[in-house]
Amino acid sequence: MRLQIDERRCKGCNLCTLVCPYRIFKPGKRANRRGIVVPELDRPERCANCRLRHLYGRTLCGTCQMICPDQAISWKEDEDPVPKKVAIEY
Amino acid sequence: MSEEDWLRQDRLPHIFCAGCGNGTVINCTLSAVEQMGWKRQETVFVSGIGCSSRAPGYISTDSLHTTHGRALAFATGIKLANPQLNIVVFTGDGDLAAIGGNHFIHACRRNIDLTVVCLNNMIYGMTGGQGSPTTPMGGLSTTTPYGSGEPAFDLCGLATAAGANYVARWTSYHVRELTRAILTGLENPGFSFVESLVQCPTNYGRRNRFKQVADQIEYFKSHTILVEKAARMREKGEMIPPDMILAGEFVRRNRPALGVRP
Repeated sequence: MRLQIDERRCKGCNLCTLVCPYRIFKPGKRANRRGIVVPELDRPERCANCRLRHLYGRTLCGTCQMICPDQAISWKEDEDPVPKKVAIEY
Repeated sequence: MSEEDWLRQDRLPHIFCAGCGNGTVINCTLSAVEQMGWKRQETVFVSGIGCSSRAPGYISTDSLHTTHGRALAFATGIKLANPQLNIVVFTGDGDLAAIGGNHFIHACRRNIDLTVVCLNNMIYGMTGGQGSPTTPMGGLSTTTPYGSGEPAFDLCGLATAAGANYVARWTSYHVRELTRAILTGLENPGFSFVESLVQCPTNYGRRNRFKQVADQIEYFKSHTILVEKAARMREKGEMIPPDMILAGEFVRRNRPALGVRP
């Protein structure tokens, strides 16, 4: 699974940067074509839902998706998942 | 099906301001409706007038956008005409507490099988930030420029006193708890009232020392106290700070309800 932000829906309120327990979302630096500063993803493979969703068979955490007022955050299935070593710092 | 399928993709992005909490509550409500496993043809969303009442326009079910304050009256009509339908009412604080106040207490009294999600942003957001009955004491708005001098309405207390079957309050920060509360409300027969405090960065936050959207969310995070904890503190004789927001489940009971499916 891969975390993604839909740039067409995001309005740049940065609520996702507040709630993510891994601090994956960082406030963006550059405005996009519509003048909206979309948050950036910092090593999104650390996301618990990306790593463990298939193992548990349900959505884990998912707070960023729930709190996003613009329904811009979602997960996409990878076409050919490559096993990757993920370092989690607490 | 997922929550995404309940949204009208062609209407998004919605018109709510950047950081408005209404979108969060739509997510929570759709997640709860999804968990209930309701069909789209059997679900109706009803709303009145206001920012919050734009919400059913983004949901791909039958919906009713009614006159100001009369959402509950219309919803009562739908439920009594066809008890097979599942009805969720989105309403704002100005809609429910100010203009529709009488409809609200009588819907609670009749205990109709509805779920009401009240998006309380503590202000009339759409019309330019006038003070509403739920503006907290001292809150600044365009009609109370020196701070509101009136005590605010406690909607959960009102619903409890008027006889609703399920009453809960959460904020737009507590997304998990809010989803669970709405789910319990949908399952519960009779009138279920879930109040959700939402941030209004454009008209409330910017006049009340919440410069960023995140500031008001942090306020909700630090200034809520569980009902159970407040009761324990009262037993011990401790003082609950006056600016604390009580959150949690206020009442769950089984009074006879109107419009329940046989």
